[in-house]
Amino acid sequence: MKKRLLHSCRSVFGGCTVSFEFRGIGTITALLFFCMLSLNAMAQNKVTGKVTDGNGEILIGVAVSVKGTTIGTTTDVNGNFSINTEPNATLVFTYIGFLPQSISVKGKSTINLKLVSDQKSLDEVIVTGYGTQKKESITGAISGVTAKDIDRVHAGAGVSTSLAGKIPGVTFRQSDGRPGSGASIQIRNMGRPLYVIDGIQQDEGQFNNLSPTDIESINVLKDASAAIYGVRAANGVVVVTTKKGSGETRINVDAYLGFQSFTRFPNVLDNSYDYNRYLAEAQVNGNDNHTTLITQTELDKFKAGMQPGYTGDPQYKSFDWKDYVLNNNGAPQNMVNVNFTGGSDKVNYYISASNLYQNSMLGKEYMFNRSNIQSNIQAKVANGLKVSLNLNGRIESVENPGVPGGDDYFLAKFAILRNTPMDRPYANDNPLYLNDIGHTESNYAFLNKGLSGTLRSDWRVLQTNFNVEYDIPGIKGLNVKGVYSYYVADRILNNQEFTYNAYTYRPATDTYDVTGGSSNPWREREQKKEFATTSQFQINYANTFGKHSVGGTLVAERLTNRHLRNWIHGSPVSNSLPLIYFPILDQYQDSDDQEARLGYVGRFNYNFDNKYYVELSGRRDASYLFAPDKRVGYFPGVSAGWRITQEKFMKDLLGNSTVLTDLKLRGSYGILGDDRNPYDSNQPIIAPYAYLPGYSYNQGTTIINGNSLIVSRDKGLPVNRISWLKSKITDFGLDFTMFSSKLSGTLDYFYRERTGLPAAKNEVILPVELGYNLPQENLNSDAVQGGEMSLNYNNTFGQFNFSVGGNVSYARGKTLDVYKQTYNNSVDRYFSGSVDRYNNISWGNQVIGQFQSQEQINDYPVNIDGMGNKTLIPGDLIYKDVNGDGRIDGADNRPIGFGYGTQPTVNYGFNFAFAYKNFDFHADFSGASGYTWYQNWETRRPFQNNGNLNTIFTDRWHHTDIYDINSPWIPGKYPALRQNPGGNSSNYNRDSDFWLHNVRYLRARTIELGYSLPESLLKFVKIKKARFYVNGYNLFSLDGLSEYGVDPEVTDDNGLQFPQNRIINIGTKITF
Amino acid sequence: MKKIFLITAGAVLLTVGSCKRDDSFLNIPPNSLLTTEKAFSDPALVLSILGDFYNREVDFSSLDNGWASFADFSEAFPSENGAAYLVERTGWGYGEWGLWDYGYIRELNLFLQRAEEATKLTETDKKRFIAEARFLRASHYFEMVKRMGGVPIITEPLTYDYSGDIEKYQKPRAKESEVYDFIISEAEAIKVDLPKNSNEKSRATYAAAVAMECRAALYAASIAKYGATTPTVTLGGDEVGIPASMANAYYTKALTAAQEIINGTAGIYKLYEVLPNAGDNFAGLFLDKTSVNQESIYIEDFKANGGKTHGFTTNNQPFSNSDEGLDAGRLNPSLNLAESFEKLDNTYAPFATTDNLGNPIYYDEQKTIFEGRDGRLAGTLLLPGDYFKSGKLDIWAGYKLADGSTFTSTEAGALRSLPGTPATDLVQVVGKDGPINNLEFRTQSGFYVRKYLDPQVGSGRRGRGSDVAFIRYRYAEVLLNAAEAAFELSDLTTAAGYINQVRNRAGLIVDLLPAEITFDRIVHERRVELAFEGHTLFDMKRWRLAHIVWDGQAETKTDLLTNIGSATHRNTRPWGLWPYKIFNPGNVNNGKWIFEVTLPSKVTGANSFKLGNYYSEIPGDVTSKNPKIVKQPNQ
Repeated sequence: MKKRLLHSCRSVFGGCTVSFEFRGIGTITALLFFCMLSLNAMAQNKVTGKVTDGNGEILIGVAVSVKGTTIGTTTDVNGNFSINTEPNATLVFTYIGFLPQSISVKGKSTINLKLVSDQKSLDEVIVTGYGTQKKESITGAISGVTAKDIDRVHAGAGVSTSLAGKIPGVTFRQSDGRPGSGASIQIRNMGRPLYVIDGIQQDEGQFNNLSPTDIESINVLKDASAAIYGVRAANGVVVVTTKKGSGETRINVDAYLGFQSFTRFPNVLDNSYDYNRYLAEAQVNGNDNHTTLITQTELDKFKAGMQPGYTGDPQYKSFDWKDYVLNNNGAPQNMVNVNFTGGSDKVNYYISASNLYQNSMLGKEYMFNRSNIQSNIQAKVANGLKVSLNLNGRIESVENPGVPGGDDYFLAKFAILRNTPMDRPYANDNPLYLNDIGHTESNYAFLNKGLSGTLRSDWRVLQTNFNVEYDIPGIKGLNVKGVYSYYVADRILNNQEFTYNAYTYRPATDTYDVTGGSSNPWREREQKKEFATTSQFQINYANTFGKHSVGGTLVAERLTNRHLRNWIHGSPVSNSLPLIYFPILDQYQDSDDQEARLGYVGRFNYNFDNKYYVELSGRRDASYLFAPDKRVGYFPGVSAGWRITQEKFMKDLLGNSTVLTDLKLRGSYGILGDDRNPYDSNQPIIAPYAYLPGYSYNQGTTIINGNSLIVSRDKGLPVNRISWLKSKITDFGLDFTMFSSKLSGTLDYFYRERTGLPAAKNEVILPVELGYNLPQENLNSDAVQGGEMSLNYNNTFGQFNFSVGGNVSYARGKTLDVYKQTYNNSVDRYFSGSVDRYNNISWGNQVIGQFQSQEQINDYPVNIDGMGNKTLIPGDLIYKDVNGDGRIDGADNRPIGFGYGTQPTVNYGFNFAFAYKNFDFHADFSGASGYTWYQNWETRRPFQNNGNLNTIFTDRWHHTDIYDINSPWIPGKYPALRQNPGGNSSNYNRDSDFWLHNVRYLRARTIELGYSLPESLLKFVKIKKARFYVNGYNLFSLDGLSEYGVDPEVTDDNGLQFPQNRIINIGTKITF
Repeated sequence: MKKIFLITAGAVLLTVGSCKRDDSFLNIPPNSLLTTEKAFSDPALVLSILGDFYNREVDFSSLDNGWASFADFSEAFPSENGAAYLVERTGWGYGEWGLWDYGYIRELNLFLQRAEEATKLTETDKKRFIAEARFLRASHYFEMVKRMGGVPIITEPLTYDYSGDIEKYQKPRAKESEVYDFIISEAEAIKVDLPKNSNEKSRATYAAAVAMECRAALYAASIAKYGATTPTVTLGGDEVGIPASMANAYYTKALTAAQEIINGTAGIYKLYEVLPNAGDNFAGLFLDKTSVNQESIYIEDFKANGGKTHGFTTNNQPFSNSDEGLDAGRLNPSLNLAESFEKLDNTYAPFATTDNLGNPIYYDEQKTIFEGRDGRLAGTLLLPGDYFKSGKLDIWAGYKLADGSTFTSTEAGALRSLPGTPATDLVQVVGKDGPINNLEFRTQSGFYVRKYLDPQVGSGRRGRGSDVAFIRYRYAEVLLNAAEAAFELSDLTTAAGYINQVRNRAGLIVDLLPAEITFDRIVHERRVELAFEGHTLFDMKRWRLAHIVWDGQAETKTDLLTNIGSATHRNTRPWGLWPYKIFNPGNVNNGKWIFEVTLPSKVTGANSFKLGNYYSEIPGDVTSKNPKIVKQPNQ
């Protein structure tokens, strides 16, 4: 259907003709002619021509305008244009992705033109708060990555996994590598950042679950430049921009297939003989009477039971649980993305669909699947009026066996450590009968959908952003913009955990008796709905007057969030009934919470001659969390830059030398606000409605006369003295390029002070008998300090391109002030004081050796175990008696680590790439240090939970004859084995630097080799580009934790965390 | 041109949305917040606030705050490795059992103030609500005084005025007797505003108030009388300790209050006597929540599928028929407790494991050794061979071989081949329910608990939980309170009359004569009747027996087996009684059972109650923030 409308009108200004051309629905092209306000009669001649790109491909929709006028046109579907102009005019050709070009008409009637593609366009423009800026004019600390960096990482599902070592100032730790997981990232260790996707504030989950192929760039705003992003930008901002269409129509297909395996996992004994031999040793060492029921005769039988083809007594057989549980080695992951993109100066579009599937080494039934769509369409509907609609949707599914306990991945991993080689998964090895091994929940044979049930969680998310932008006519550089965004997310979790039987085989009667299992069915359903809206109204102005460039932005924005949740739990009468009806229902929870925030933003920037830059910004934010008179916070920021190389004296000095191409000094200071809990960004700084008095309903249930009654509780004193906490960031940095821009680098120092951390005043000491504490106010402060640098070099020698780059960053936090912190005494001050001290200090004893002999123990003057050293034997740890009081206790603790599960304080990364003809090669490395991993539980105590023995403990102190305690000791790394030493063992019950490890690692993230088919071949199949690659992720790591069998980034101290995967991917990217 | 402006204007309107004022945009109406005015205009909402106070009432051993408090004091063994400290330690910290919760008091005082001021409630409702809140406040002061001694009595809500003058908020400790007097006078004052209804058990009633008064008076009386034996456990201002001269008046008050319930003035209450078997009947008393049960006076109620349940059954169910796999078997009553249940002839004796010559006695059935005892033994404990939820308990520690050695396994219910039998002939060599040293979640003493254990299907599931009620006051305790008060007032006939009612119900049908009523009998009767109901610690404290029975000396087997029934019997380590099966083919005893008195190997400490433990330490922040609070003695 094509309709043509043509009409004109005469405005009050007179002489303006507007013509609209609507072509169908969905694709709108409009032609717009504006007349000059002063209408001079002009001589006209017609110029025609054709515009192509460097390869001779026609370009559709190139804007052609007459310089100094508003006369313009665009190229048609054949790349042709036609325009009336004066003979001595200059035509300006502009097109997204290409360098603008001016051509003097000089009386010519035909101008054919090749536009030069703007390779640097994406690097040069940086997305900042409410707009973009040229890189050279940036005065804040902003770093980023673009699609080409993200595309190479096939680490798993979360976008955050692609950032390891890529951006200076971003700290990275991926503790968990299960399907669907992401990494923990922070900007300068300031806490959880704010995520802004296409201008809309979002949460970490939404960020991680974008399809990486849809991302154009990720920029991190590390200093006061984040201030403009406002409400809750105190910890820095991660700004994500999705791809927009441009240029000729293309269809891209991007697909890869990968095979995953654990980087590391603890090793355990794999046979009953070894298990019993170490157990016997542990019992002899650990019992008061030094005896064991496991005799040498028994051991011999176990040894015989290991032999292949053994048919004797089944109780002497062995079973290798690690091998059994980790059966899905090379678990597949795959991703397919298809996108359609293109554009003219009227309309551009990027429409994309992706699917990601990830399986797990723990079994095929543990999986993650995500489908994403992204549709970004922008249209210039009239001169100066642009509208765009960005749609982002996904379905994100997790499915795995429904397993007892909170984390369904735990029992399968636990099975490796908990089950001994004497346990067998099936009774009499008959796969019809689950064996009752006494702790059946960790029998991996039960952890499947058939026996234990199914958990499935689906997130369905749709984000729609609607933008209108209008250039106000008559005032150059002034435009207004409206943004409305609506976000809806829906979660359904269904989990059914079955009842099941476990059997014991009775050989005498050849029967299988039900001796265990669970009669506890668990059926739950959670339904969540999340709604978020963002409304923004902006006025922008930018203009240049000679050497003076000025810009300004005013924004008003309002944000709302609503969280709806209900959760029901029932106990179905049968495993085959998945629905929940009233009689089986026993728990129901319901909640509906809303949030509202608003902000007014102003920014002004000025630059003189591209030499001196100043930017001032300010926000006035208000949050629903605070009492009405405490709601508003003011957050100003200022930054300045000086491009020294633009100065005449530098130009004179440098002359024609290309050593220093560009050098910019910059500095910034800003105050940013936050209404989140400073120590847990998922929580608000105070509970909603804390400023209101009254009673809170639904504080539990009481039973009155046999009936349930929901109870209410006094809310306590209203908290009306708290407001925004303030984050004050100072940053000094410099950016430089050298050797004709071949070498570029940045250097930054920063200091972030946070004030207004909540605490209660304590200058009046109120008796506890008052019955309440004074409400919290904004009193305490802390700080993070550090810096980062990066260097990149690239060069071309003929057909050989190469680049190398690296970055390193440091950031560590400390407490500055605690409001009137009081101590009982100086010892208390030493151990519990926090003022002016680093955060996250691990305290523990210092191990100065291991006892070498019983005589040494007998003569040792310090009471190590609190029992006169009577529990000690050779090999046990000797703690340093720091205070010299002759006994080891908490007073001998000293700082020995960086805290449990914290982000690294130092992060570094470097990459190396080269391309020769059609081959390309990339290698990315990243690393970190300044954090701690603890050995505890299964990695500290032999036979923890009466389970299997971690093989690290085979390097231990032991007697030459394990049955003879008088036989000589053989030294080893670990203390002599004991079974269940309980709380009495001084080796295990104290944290010490024997068990704490301060980690540093360097690991190969992505190593990729690619080959692009030559265009000469592709011409015949109408394919524009085709590239194939093999890609390895996490191929190796250099660190100190390999001996413990744990990945260097894990947090869990039992070593049982799902580690990151080593992945081999093969993939292709084809453009049609 | 106009069109563009229209489009733009429309877009702007769309973007900015409905133009609410900033403050109304930020004021989101809360959906689960009640204003004070609204709350006190509707009796249903007032009850909802009271319901929270009821929920938060402090019980020493309540069913919904874990199980470990039951397992202490050598009355049981804790079969969970994480709770092993209970039997490894050599005493209690001074801070243990402390309670200094004035937040709850303040909320009650605010409630009382607001209820008094309420204008939209009927006078009847108002009176009852106020009486209930005063009952709860008195009950909380009782919980504090029995742990801390005298505490500041605050009956008005205090609110700091930011004036800097804090002295007026610093209240000193009241005398211990003054706190008891407060509880007694409050109970007297409010009882008339409370219903006399024995079917009303989960809200305060006339009888609940009087039962509280009775117990409080008895505590005050015994502290006054027996405090004389520990003269150092006092403070100069009588914040701790009650003068001996006040004893008789308190005993009289206790007896009078008890008799209000016994003679029916407070409503119809009587002992639970429904089932023919004394043990089953005693266990049933704690399970029966119907109107048939007129013994329970005041309870904390639970309701399955009703939003409030507890995990007592999940924690303590026998392992072999656990609803929840590993969640089981934590609370293992000790032999110390088990053997203190009398024989039916009113005498004390250990279980007969050996004959006079020291040879083991061989039993055909495990149960035989426990026969002929106080019905409350089987009503309170699950014994080897008992049934629970139709499953027979499988409690035995292994085989005894002909040479007297033990053949067992470290794995419950393990199958092994017995010596001299073919290697493939696997038989079970140890009970599925234990006992095996160090094997948690199965008994390590040889017993499981029966009191409160819910036989309802599914009650042991974590998801469902149990709804057996916790009885805070019951008629049998009132009888024992009355008997003790009468005994102390030298009215032995009255004392015997009351105590025999309780004993007869337990199957001890031979009455004790008035002359046989001794202090030891009073102490013993409360121990066996009220085991695991949260009384042991406070009874031992008020009689000043705690430092004697828990004297820190390791209780030997001889200690254990002699002088049973003595009030000062040492009770510092929980012992067990382990059954073994005889494997001696061809021998007459093959397949029979013997029993061995066994100390579970985790038991390495010995309970030591020091004089400083009589009153829990007042937390440092309390004393540092209020200089008028004097510290406890002997700490």
